[in-house]
Amino acid sequence: MKNKKKTLIYLIGILALVSLISLFVGSVWVAPTELSGNTIIWQIRLPRVVLSALCGVLLATSGVILQGILRNPLADPYILGVSSGAGIGAAIALSLPFSMVILGISSIPLFAFVFALASVFVVYRLSYVKGRSAPETLILAGVAVASFASAILSLIIIVSGRLQAIYFWLLGSFSLSSWGDVWNLLPYGLVGIVISYFYSKELNALLLGEEIALTLGVEVEKIRVRLILVASLMTAAAVSVSGLIGFVGLIIPHFVRLLIGPNHRMLIPYSALGGAILLVAADTLARTLFSPMEVPIGVIMSLVGAPFFLYILRTRAGK
Amino acid sequence: MSGEEALVVKDLCCGYDGTIVIRGISFQVERGEFVGIVGPNGCGKTTLLKALIGLIVPTHGSIDVYGKKLKELPRKDISRMIALVPQMMEPVKGFTVSEMILLGRTPYFERFSFETEDDHAVKRWVIAELKMEEMADTPVSNLSGGEFQRVAIARALAQEPRLMLLDEPISHLDIRYQVKILKLLRKIRQSRTVIATFHDLNMASRFCQRLILMKNGEVIASGRPDEVLSRENIWKAYRIKAEVKTNPKTKHARLVLLP
Repeated sequence: MKNKKKTLIYLIGILALVSLISLFVGSVWVAPTELSGNTIIWQIRLPRVVLSALCGVLLATSGVILQGILRNPLADPYILGVSSGAGIGAAIALSLPFSMVILGISSIPLFAFVFALASVFVVYRLSYVKGRSAPETLILAGVAVASFASAILSLIIIVSGRLQAIYFWLLGSFSLSSWGDVWNLLPYGLVGIVISYFYSKELNALLLGEEIALTLGVEVEKIRVRLILVASLMTAAAVSVSGLIGFVGLIIPHFVRLLIGPNHRMLIPYSALGGAILLVAADTLARTLFSPMEVPIGVIMSLVGAPFFLYILRTRAGK
Repeated sequence: MSGEEALVVKDLCCGYDGTIVIRGISFQVERGEFVGIVGPNGCGKTTLLKALIGLIVPTHGSIDVYGKKLKELPRKDISRMIALVPQMMEPVKGFTVSEMILLGRTPYFERFSFETEDDHAVKRWVIAELKMEEMADTPVSNLSGGEFQRVAIARALAQEPRLMLLDEPISHLDIRYQVKILKLLRKIRQSRTVIATFHDLNMASRFCQRLILMKNGEVIASGRPDEVLSRENIWKAYRIKAEVKTNPKTKHARLVLLP
């Protein structure tokens, strides 16, 4: 327990440090003495840091709950096709000649959510064999749906005539972050993480297997549907502001499990923190590696994440 | 019905995906009894246990637990009344014995809260009851099969069930742990009802008050161990020639295989 508190303090410290670095470095270097009234810091970099941290929280948390509820350490919103589904929705919203606001909510996350749900529903249905969802089939179905979705995405991009805008958004980037995006995303983040946290006891019971979870009074099917909804909502929210950023939900929970164990009460908040650290750091790299040119953060995450996915796959197969 | 029965099963039929495994079983279990279910592989022992805890819905017949109809009970209520120790439970990597036992308190957690002082008190009671103080902080993945089986039972006990079901609790244990687990179950049944499946007829005879012998999803004999373990019944169930002797010291029925 003591160890876990220490880990928490370290993680918070790292997040603070990475965020500070991210604020001051970039194509324009800002000295800590020039802070007050500095537009670059307050209007460009700070919202960008906050936004990337928020996206990290959302993606890592949805990874944890998808892995828990599907009892599969390879589950991740990107791999399961949730992200690509959300991408289709967001691309459609982006390519509409007018921007819609429904009930005061920007149409982009809404479209993203609807399509994320549609694709997760298809994946879930496809993986359902003999009354239960088999993890292997689920991953395969996810891969198939993801590649189908990316074909649709390409079609939308070509037909819409806004190739460059959508394509760059798709690769994943925080280069257009504003405070508005932060306020749009914050409610999803808060609601998602709070709901997930209170379901951590059911996720823990599921560590013992579905049947034992049932005998512990956990209504597995019902809770699975609810948590998939929550995970899709969080993913869609992240995708709608940042494009497709993969593997956060895979890498972070994996490391956090090694650090503090599989208890979801800790796994969820610690992973949220880890996700924030990873994306703030990755975004800093994206801005500075080839400065003044920017590399899409999605490209960086896939460069790191795909080999990592294979690594987990191999170590799992070895067991 | 006197209301003293822990379990009343009537004409139970059930199975998986249209294949019927249990074909019309009826029996009763009194409160505080330790009943052993025996029979050859594939006779439906595990399926019966799953039906008794509501994991499988009967296609026919009824199950009453402590005077309540099982099919009308919500999952949460069942989980506070009945606990199951499955045949194979995987140790959760990274959990300690104490954390594992606490998982047994899940039925008592409320939606927006976590374990309370009560839950910790029950956990401590279980640990004391099973004399596990020394291993409480050991990771479960470091335990031997026999020790882990005790943790699995402790986890079920933390549910404070009135009826405890165990699927082959001693099958993969050495003889020392077999006796240890059976003695533990005999102690548990003093305050609750225990039903367990067994392959080892001699162990079942030695520790259970009553045996139910099954074959092909039916009960072919039921009663005191010395009544059930007869030459004819053993032949009927297993197609094995055996003689039934009496243990001269404990007076329990015991099988001797004939060539």
